[in-house]
Amino acid sequence: MEIKEVRLDDSDYPRLLKEIKDPPNPLYYAGDLKLASERCAAVVGSRTATEYGCWAARRLGARLAESGVVVVSGMAKGIDACAHEGALESGRSEEVSHSEVGSGRTIAVLGCGIDVCYPASNRRLWKEIARKGLLLSEYPEGTEPARYRFPRRNRIISGLAEAVVVVQAKERSGALITAELAADQGRNVYAIPGNINSAYNLGSNKLLRDGAMPLVVMEDILDDMGLASSHLQKIRKDLGKDEMTLISLLEKNGEMTADQLCAATGQPPFQISGIVTILEMKGVIYTSLGKIFIAK
Amino acid sequence: MMSKIFTASLLGMEADLVTVETDIQPGLPAMNLVGLADTTIKEAKERIRAAILNSDYPFPKHRITVNLSPAGRPKEGSHFDLPIAVGILLLGSERTARQEKTAFIGELALDGKVKHIRGALPLAMGLRERGIRRLVLPYENLEEVALLRDLELYPVRSLRESIEWCLGRREQSAYKRKKKVKRKIMDQTIDFCDVVSQENAKRAITVAAAGNHGILLMGSPGSGKTMLAKRIPAIMPEMSYTEQLEATRIYSAAGLLSQACPYIGERPFRMPHHTISRAALIGGGNRPRPGEISLAHNGILFLDEFGEFDPQVTELLRQPLEDGQVTINRAWGSVTFPCRMMLVAAANPCKCGYLGDDRHTCTCSENQLSRYLSRFSGPVLERIDLHIKVPAVPAQKLEKKTTALSTAEMKAQVRQAAMLQKERYKGTDICFNGQLTQRQIQSYCPVTASANRFLKEAYEKLALSMRTYYKIIKVARTIADLHGTDTIDAYHIAEALQYRALDRFYRRPGNGN
Repeated sequence: MEIKEVRLDDSDYPRLLKEIKDPPNPLYYAGDLKLASERCAAVVGSRTATEYGCWAARRLGARLAESGVVVVSGMAKGIDACAHEGALESGRSEEVSHSEVGSGRTIAVLGCGIDVCYPASNRRLWKEIARKGLLLSEYPEGTEPARYRFPRRNRIISGLAEAVVVVQAKERSGALITAELAADQGRNVYAIPGNINSAYNLGSNKLLRDGAMPLVVMEDILDDMGLASSHLQKIRKDLGKDEMTLISLLEKNGEMTADQLCAATGQPPFQISGIVTILEMKGVIYTSLGKIFIAK
Repeated sequence: MMSKIFTASLLGMEADLVTVETDIQPGLPAMNLVGLADTTIKEAKERIRAAILNSDYPFPKHRITVNLSPAGRPKEGSHFDLPIAVGILLLGSERTARQEKTAFIGELALDGKVKHIRGALPLAMGLRERGIRRLVLPYENLEEVALLRDLELYPVRSLRESIEWCLGRREQSAYKRKKKVKRKIMDQTIDFCDVVSQENAKRAITVAAAGNHGILLMGSPGSGKTMLAKRIPAIMPEMSYTEQLEATRIYSAAGLLSQACPYIGERPFRMPHHTISRAALIGGGNRPRPGEISLAHNGILFLDEFGEFDPQVTELLRQPLEDGQVTINRAWGSVTFPCRMMLVAAANPCKCGYLGDDRHTCTCSENQLSRYLSRFSGPVLERIDLHIKVPAVPAQKLEKKTTALSTAEMKAQVRQAAMLQKERYKGTDICFNGQLTQRQIQSYCPVTASANRFLKEAYEKLALSMRTYYKIIKVARTIADLHGTDTIDAYHIAEALQYRALDRFYRRPGNGN
């Protein structure tokens, strides 16, 4: 991968980033720098997240990318990785690749040198972003990750974006720092509400109490950015009656186990299992950790 | 003067005919035992002398030589007491018709009583194969050996009784087994309907039991994995005579039969602790005894807390699971034990157990999780056909009385599927779908055209491995049997695809891959 640098006075220095208090100079990058001057939204959250959080990050990443918004995040484990993946995946699916919008455009702002993949388990993601999206860092090549660099890096994430969404954050998550910086920089801050009985949502919920905008449906952020949603799931038109019943149940409840589906529909387990498999193969739902979710 | 008495020696589960040759010559009083006898037999000398004297017989005051022939093969076991004692006491008396084709087994107490021995059934079976028609054996082993229908059994309580019988001074007709053996009724206090709202898990268990597939139950602590597993034996078809014989033979060789449990009439359920050693699991010892996998033959081997087992121990299951038997090699030779069982494993999804649980937070670090996961990538789990997730049941569901599938209903389904399989596999060496080899799958698992298309699509889209692909067909075969249909349809395949919880469980978005 080829690492280049851009200086504050260069014409292609990211548009919004110039406006913040202490813009990084120079800025190192690999990939398509033009992305950083387009309309961006940051999706951030904790490294340890629940299935719900991962799902939300993924779906949000995909929806933003489909609407032509570049997804900015920090390439950490958990929520960050999910957001990147969601954006990249929207570019992969066939029906989108033909249209103008969404080609898996995402920016990862790193807290180490661009050539250092941290965390190492995200190597595939790191490579894919370098190829299709943009990797940014204020640190020169070879800089090792260090604890104190990540909070500083967060000002770039919020600086690039018009809006910041905290998907799921624990009480002392770094994502809250990003949200604070974003507020200082005058960006819109959203948080996705979560269960109040889970420690995983405490930080993001507190953010709501402190005045962040709740992201109640994915379209909220798109509406505020002035992007009307036009995406309708074509696959759904071809679904059968039983399949539609399952889908609407899942949409209503968010996540369900196979047993709950049986109880709700009154159908025997073998029938439900069959339908779940078929829907899974159609890509409408997916299962993880023993539960069934709507995909995308 | 010489006498010849038949008995047998046990090696693993195989018994060999042994002739006890006793010779008496003038000389200083002595008794020598030859023929590669081990310590238990050498010690027999003292027991025998005391037993003979305490039975009011004189002990010959001459030079006695006892040879266990064939002399080149090592022998062990206390059941040589009786034949040796009988050999000594019959010295010089006329050989009677009763001694023809007759063998003796039994351990002696110092007072001349004949005691229970280990391995009576395999010994009797070996003797039967070698032309022995009558067997004198301890009373306490009678019920066990009585499983054999074509051997005349003469149970004795004391040394005196056996001698009197041999010399024709005591009339005793061969033991006749009562036609109807009282069947121990399974513990009916535990029933599947006790397990609330786990209908998917129960369905998977029905499939597993019907086709004798291995099954992995995965779920948080308290979700009911152990409860489900313990109820599996009750839904399996009753043991056939051959199955009972095989199982009893193993238990006999292991020395696990007693008066209270003289033979194995219902499917064994073995639940070894996860600290089990290799030898205890697959069998071992200098003179190998069967391990837990063999004790579970024709029944269930339940490995609770599968993730806690030493991977080196569970790795050993690979070959036995595939072959249905395990061979233990020693310098002097090898011993083979059968071990065709249904493997049931239960595991937590992670070290702390709460990964994916709604009400608890998983406290595992990424490292702990990946270390734990590495235990599940093993080839043993590849050989388990069904993997299911057992979700935790919310408290309000526990109280709600819903119609739960009961043991009786599940058993009826299993029985029907088992009958179809019995018919299908007549004349082959397998009896269940779970035992199908890849080659057999092609001839016994006809798939409809639409099912075939579906399967191919699933193979591509869900990125199945070749082994999983065949597993799916095997499981679909059982599902089709449960529905009573001959060919495998697409919806059978679709259901079978759901039983790959492990493949899908850890596929979390956010792992970066």
